[in-house]
Amino acid sequence: MDTAIQIVVSGLTLGAMYAVGTIALSLVWGALQMLNMAQGALLAVGGYAAYTAVATLGMPLWLGLPAAIAVGGLVGALMYALVVRHMLGRPGFETNVIIATVGIALILENLVLRLYGAYPLLQPIGLEGGFQVGATYVPWQNLMILVVSVVLMLVIGNFLSRTRAGRAIRATAQHQRGAMLMGVPVGRVYVQVLMIGGALAAVSGIMLSTITTLAPTMGYDPMLKAFIICVIAGLGNIYGALTAAFVLGLFEAAVQYFFGVRFGFPALLVLVIVALIWRPYGVFGRHKQARL
Amino acid sequence: MIPGLRSTARQDWMIGVLLLVAAAAIPFIFPTRYVIGQMTLLFIWATVVTQWNLVFGVAGVFSLAQMAIFAVGGYVTGMLALYLEWPLWVGMFFGGGAAVIFSLLIGLACLRLRGAYVALLTLAIAQVMYLLIITDTACFMKQGVTCLNFTGGTRGLARFGDFGFRELLPYKYVPLGNYFLGLVVLAVATAFSIFIIRSPLGLAFQAMRDNPELATARGVSRFKYQMVVFAASAFFTGLAGAVYAGHFRVMGANTLYLSLLLYLLSMMVIGGVGRAWGPILGATVLMVVDEGLKELIDWRLAGLGIILVVFVVLLPGGLAGALDGLRERLGRRSPDSG
Repeated sequence: MDTAIQIVVSGLTLGAMYAVGTIALSLVWGALQMLNMAQGALLAVGGYAAYTAVATLGMPLWLGLPAAIAVGGLVGALMYALVVRHMLGRPGFETNVIIATVGIALILENLVLRLYGAYPLLQPIGLEGGFQVGATYVPWQNLMILVVSVVLMLVIGNFLSRTRAGRAIRATAQHQRGAMLMGVPVGRVYVQVLMIGGALAAVSGIMLSTITTLAPTMGYDPMLKAFIICVIAGLGNIYGALTAAFVLGLFEAAVQYFFGVRFGFPALLVLVIVALIWRPYGVFGRHKQARL
Repeated sequence: MIPGLRSTARQDWMIGVLLLVAAAAIPFIFPTRYVIGQMTLLFIWATVVTQWNLVFGVAGVFSLAQMAIFAVGGYVTGMLALYLEWPLWVGMFFGGGAAVIFSLLIGLACLRLRGAYVALLTLAIAQVMYLLIITDTACFMKQGVTCLNFTGGTRGLARFGDFGFRELLPYKYVPLGNYFLGLVVLAVATAFSIFIIRSPLGLAFQAMRDNPELATARGVSRFKYQMVVFAASAFFTGLAGAVYAGHFRVMGANTLYLSLLLYLLSMMVIGGVGRAWGPILGATVLMVVDEGLKELIDWRLAGLGIILVVFVVLLPGGLAGALDGLRERLGRRSPDSG
């Protein structure tokens, strides 16, 4: 019983962390057909921005979050203005934008490394203490990550389905030219989506760094895992990605417990590959019919 | 005329022979160990990039497992030498073969998926391989008091020897052994890639790029053709890995660093994705630039990033594309010069 509780607690924490990361990736892919490889670097940028706001500039703790969100959103907007805007509609956008965002990731990573150094730093934002479930100790921090991920999902889901801007994003995702003909400012939609993506990444960066440490490359492994969770759910499917995040988080925690930590990620990957052979467009993804 | 290959077969032969002669002359013009060592490394990377270009630029598979395939070639060669005491000259072909089998497995798992999915899964495969190697602490073999891991772990696989040029050649010419081995592998790999681009396989990929529906209706199977190119190119990639292992006498997980993968990706992007001579051009230019910017080592990653972004946004055809464009513009102005 204690084993089960322990696995569920660490599985839910892992799942929540992946979920925050996958929302941003799913949103950007779903709306723009764009795989944002700078996501991992944006996680680091968000984490360090909060650190700078609180530890260096001496702002109160609760201001760290909006500061990180602002910086993440700004980087997202810059990405659009300087790079993505010039590539839209060109042949090979889907692969070229992967290469370009990898380039952006390298630039951001190098900047963070030069500004803060390679030595891991402690994230000042975070909750202390915890509570007991049976024999398992649950830190408040882990609960907070879970709550934040669920709240973010609800906010984003409502934003997409209820607001005018959200409807414009979904219209662009469904059929870009059609949306454009109906008067949707597609350029603005792109900026909005990339800014939201950057802001969400910043939040997950803070969450992640509270239970590990701040390091320039801290976002790479979580990004890869978030990516393969998006893949298994079907890229661009936000609710599917969330379900998959928690299922795979629990699976990974179980594997880590029974077979050792080093087999968590490999087992995850094998599971994803098997699932994709069974359903090539993801478990929740739909195959788009080609229009001839 | 095949887009991405603005040269005729005769021109390809001439370019190839000229480059080969130049490469063979370099160690006698600049006979320093440093130049020869860097050139050997250039040949190894250029081999990897020509094969990657075949997979990505020609067959349209955005695989990021290129260095994982390379590492399989190097590790298998090293392990065969270390554990079974096979000479590297034999082991390298088994290393290439293992790379082919590895790529077939990746291909079966990934190639039915669309572009972005392939990129993600192959990157994840490479990362998992890296993590499994650096967390390998189990004792596989005792050598004296030290304990050897199966993969060599974080320290890398070592003490499996080299290609034995020390015994074969007079002392002065020892570094030339690896140099010419690298050159031969690069030459064969380049000839293979140009052969593929000009073969019916290359034409089939062109058809699939220009009109996928029509090509499919005419019986061109994307999956089958992509598998063939993916597996065949893996052989030379694995061979390059074996040469790397023999050259450095060690094979480590550092070959799986993301920064190295992106360094090679930059070579392909600079040269021109899908261009026959792009990889060699890109590899040479990037290594020379890298050499010139040694003082800026702190900003090396950002430099690579800027190169990637600038080329993808402003020069998607790479330097080879730019040269072709220039030639066309000159040709239009003076039609006689052709």
